[in-house]
Amino acid sequence: MIDAVAGPKDARIPAADPEVTAALERIWATPRTAWGWLSAVNHKAVGLRYMVTSLVFFLLAGVEALLMRLQLARPELEIIDPDLYNQLFTMHGSTMMFLFAVPFLEGLAIYVTPLMIGARDMAFPRLNAFGYWIFLIAGMMLHVALLAGVAPHSGWFNYPPLTGPGFSPGVNIDFWVLMITLLEVAALVAAVELIVTILKQRAPGMSLDRMPLFVWAVLATAWMVIFAMPPLVVASLLLALDRFAGMHFFNVMAGGDTLLWQHLFWFFGHPDVYIMLLPALGIVSTLIPVAVRRPIAGYTWLTLSLVAIAILSFGLWVHHMYAAGLPLLGMNFFAAASMMITIPSGVQIFAWLSTVRRGVRPIFHTHVLFVVGFLVLLILGGITGIMVASVAFDWQVHDTFFVVAHFHYVLIGGVVFPIFAAIHFWFPKLTGKMLSEAIGRWCFWLTFIGFNLTFFPMHVLGFQGMPRRVYTYLSGLGLDAGNLLASVGAAILGAGMALLFVNAGWALWRGRAAPADPWGAGTLDWATTSPPPAFNFAHIPVVAGREALWRDGGAEPAAGIRTYPIDTPGDLARETLGTTILDAAPEQRLVLPGPSIWPLWVALSVGFAFLGAMVHLMLVPIGLFVAGVALVGWHWPPRPKEAPTGGAGQAAFEGARLPRHATGRHGTVWWGMVLLVVIEATVVVSLVTSYFYLRVQVGDWPPLGIARPDLWLPAIATALIVASAAPIGWARRSVPKVLGESEGPSTGMRLRKAVPAGLLLVIAYLVLTLIDAADRPYRWSDHAYGSMVFTLTGYQILHVVALLGFGAVVLCMGWRHDMGRRRGNAVEALWIYWAFVAVTSVVTFATVYLAP
Amino acid sequence: MRVAAFWTWVLLGCFMGMGCAQAPLSMLPPQGPGAAGIADLWWVLFWATGIPAVAVILFTLFLFLRRRRPDPDRLVVGDDAFIIGGGILLPAAVIAILLTTSVRTGGEVAHPSREPALTIDVIGHQFWWEVRYPAHQITTANEIHVPAGEPVRLRLASADVIHSFWVPRLHGKIDTVPGKVNTFWIEADRPGAYRGQCAEFCGVQHALMGFWVVASPRASFEAWLADHRRPAAEPATEAARRGRAVFEDAGCSVCHVVQGHTDPTAGQTAGPDFTHLARRRTLGAARLPNDREALAGWIQDPHAFKPGVRMPATALAPGDLHDLLDYLEGLR
Repeated sequence: MIDAVAGPKDARIPAADPEVTAALERIWATPRTAWGWLSAVNHKAVGLRYMVTSLVFFLLAGVEALLMRLQLARPELEIIDPDLYNQLFTMHGSTMMFLFAVPFLEGLAIYVTPLMIGARDMAFPRLNAFGYWIFLIAGMMLHVALLAGVAPHSGWFNYPPLTGPGFSPGVNIDFWVLMITLLEVAALVAAVELIVTILKQRAPGMSLDRMPLFVWAVLATAWMVIFAMPPLVVASLLLALDRFAGMHFFNVMAGGDTLLWQHLFWFFGHPDVYIMLLPALGIVSTLIPVAVRRPIAGYTWLTLSLVAIAILSFGLWVHHMYAAGLPLLGMNFFAAASMMITIPSGVQIFAWLSTVRRGVRPIFHTHVLFVVGFLVLLILGGITGIMVASVAFDWQVHDTFFVVAHFHYVLIGGVVFPIFAAIHFWFPKLTGKMLSEAIGRWCFWLTFIGFNLTFFPMHVLGFQGMPRRVYTYLSGLGLDAGNLLASVGAAILGAGMALLFVNAGWALWRGRAAPADPWGAGTLDWATTSPPPAFNFAHIPVVAGREALWRDGGAEPAAGIRTYPIDTPGDLARETLGTTILDAAPEQRLVLPGPSIWPLWVALSVGFAFLGAMVHLMLVPIGLFVAGVALVGWHWPPRPKEAPTGGAGQAAFEGARLPRHATGRHGTVWWGMVLLVVIEATVVVSLVTSYFYLRVQVGDWPPLGIARPDLWLPAIATALIVASAAPIGWARRSVPKVLGESEGPSTGMRLRKAVPAGLLLVIAYLVLTLIDAADRPYRWSDHAYGSMVFTLTGYQILHVVALLGFGAVVLCMGWRHDMGRRRGNAVEALWIYWAFVAVTSVVTFATVYLAP
Repeated sequence: MRVAAFWTWVLLGCFMGMGCAQAPLSMLPPQGPGAAGIADLWWVLFWATGIPAVAVILFTLFLFLRRRRPDPDRLVVGDDAFIIGGGILLPAAVIAILLTTSVRTGGEVAHPSREPALTIDVIGHQFWWEVRYPAHQITTANEIHVPAGEPVRLRLASADVIHSFWVPRLHGKIDTVPGKVNTFWIEADRPGAYRGQCAEFCGVQHALMGFWVVASPRASFEAWLADHRRPAAEPATEAARRGRAVFEDAGCSVCHVVQGHTDPTAGQTAGPDFTHLARRRTLGAARLPNDREALAGWIQDPHAFKPGVRMPATALAPGDLHDLLDYLEGLR
């Protein structure tokens, strides 16, 4: 009877009381209707959608690649005209980066991470769903553009001035700047989600030094996304302003600078490579111990080197610009930093090898084959990587097929192979069906051989002088043989990859049913059924070592898994356990929101705003306003249920006595807000850096004939907004600092007094700022200085408008007494954002008005 | 071992078939001191990374495949020593070699060994190269004549978007960045023609934006300079004189300058200078050989050879076309 409810017998977590399990199923269920499908927020639904959607984009990008190889098979072919070819290579690169590799790995992380850390869902399930929807909208729109023949056509790197309004007047580049921005938002949302979930929702006992390496890799990657994406947001924002609002950031005729784009783009672009590689390393660190039946060797080395790669990768971006004519000395430092990354990568490889040498000879399941293939190809891609890090050598091979070969070795060998390994490894967990090993072996060998046939000759083609991004080449240049070989290889590679989909289709149709743990793995994701129930674990497992399911020091299954019950019959909620960051000690029960249609609405209205920009700029504020309204609906607090939270005090077990909705400085809401502020601060820093970059590059700043702006009005305004934070700080002081303590009676009263006062001051700031801006003797379309100043001011105004909306919503909470501790969380969040906006006002003021 | 055999085969096959010597754009073998320095660096990079990489790959396959496994608890080298040795010391040694060689080579090839006597301005256009000799008031296109055995200074600029100047046999590449002038240098060891190519994606016809560097002995280079300082030759035949009128009437002179023939105040820069067109080796930025047939085809429909190129197709009566060709072929 119990088994019928809890799933197959082999799930390692002991089944819960059948009554509780039945209740959990009911509480966690997503309605099986179309509406329910659109409202789904569970991490497994969202993660699976991310993975499936990104694999569809992977297929499309593969077809794009095959078309390119068809055109390049022989010299001077005329199968595909140059404009279409340029769209194809742009879409191939953008799709593989933004629509396949990053989202697939995010999807995998979203699906697997909560399972690995023993959580029931992620910290912000609705945000998760929102991220997926905008990813879907942006990816679809880019491909709609391709079908219409107006896809972006200037490369995934999108260098101005070629992409500026002067040289690319059509909508092609509009699609790129707008949709890529949406995709960045999706990636940021997933990063926030993953960080907070990993920090706050790990199973009891899973201290940081027991966290699975895949989770470490996901955590490091998410932090990289937080710092890498905002510069790209700024780059695409500035380019969008050049294109839509007649600004001049990249227009050298009006004081702009084209290399500003390259710095911003590659400050994102290089970390982006590691944003894809790090989770792949995490996958390999997960699969190797399972394959050789031995806990990972050098765990600490692996975590430290992951962090080292994440940090170092931010210091390398100039190695994409060696040919731009920058000073040699500076470039040599970037060369040194780029080569340095070999060391943490070497540490990863030798930690794996040490594990392998201690373990048994593995059974070469398909996922193990892909791991071995990964090691071979990553080493080959790695050595060409050190080569192109050399400034002088790069002067020759930069922008040739040698570089194409290099990064395909790194990205296919280093990222796609682990992704394929992950698919073969986790497919049983995700679907409950086993993939065919026979098809899998064919898939591996065709992929491996086809890959090398395609890309190894490209090294030689690069030496023979074949530049990248060319739709054809003349005969007589000696490029014919290499290209033909590459095209034949591409066909084999394509066939190999297609077998993955054949295999998946076959397995879903009539594959063998998968047990809970077909590989004898050590992480918690294998402790539950395949596929897992909506709530993942009936009981939250307790972790006593690095391999939660193995006995210490070996791969023997641990006898029994202890659990930490939190569900009390009669007082059940959609909740999971919140634990402390370092030691994962239980501290609260986190009640999670259920299915909701609002994330889809917000995504649709944001998508409308972005697409609308191409039609008329007025559609942007309309779309954003609708999104704001939908956001209120999203956050509208439900009436609490009858059962009071205090009543749980009599429960027999510790988990049921943990507080719900605990306020406090370090809860999930607090962390989410802090991360939002970190992202926004990175945007502001990128903008301010762009300001100073232009200032240094462009001699006359402000341009001749423009007086330095008058100080008084903005100084008063800035003082007002700084002062406005004070009452909010006062209101916040009534919120208890200690976790779980009840909110004081004064919070509502203080909110009703403080927020209106603060909002009035902010409105005064807004009015003064608008007066000052209107008073400027130049416009944003006059020169790059005007563009920069108005953009800084405009961004600040956006912050202030968001603050007004946020403040108004929290003010409404001042009159609601039924929200319990959730109100305290809202006040904390409001205070963080308010303080941030005050600080950015000062920074903006200092940049525009005070900087020398 | 199947994998190792496969790789041996691929490596051998590719390097034997590499045929760099017949590939005019190939960076090997180098034919100037800049490219030679980088080629030397390449061989250091190749051996210093190749040997450890192949060794680590073979070691990896061995560790995965071997059937006899030692007792994991009685290994001589512990995890830490294994990781430090292979993951830190080995790459650090490789990096030390690479970085020092790379920095030294970079310093050597960044500047010529002696002060160049000649400066040439090269301006990238969508999708061709403007070439100016400022000391000699010469403007030409897609063909850079230099004296062999001497370094030549290049000043690179852009008329529109970012391009990248690259003659693989002579040196690495350098971008032409709008609003910036990058200086660079090239030197050809021996007289000869060296093919160049735009290396930064610059728009629809980036692929076919080639050029040639022609190095000749000092004396013939001086003669070339002297010839090219003269304005265009007067049309020699009646047909060529009519062709000159066609050149004006059909709108060619809106974009193309013929020194001494076209209006000197018009300031055309949209297309290449034609003053000595007939002496150039190629048409359409190294797309076609410069002969009468190709010229006729190019004038009538340049998009058949370079779709998307800026030059419009020109419909001419057969008689006018032949007059125009006579005129253009007389521009020596």
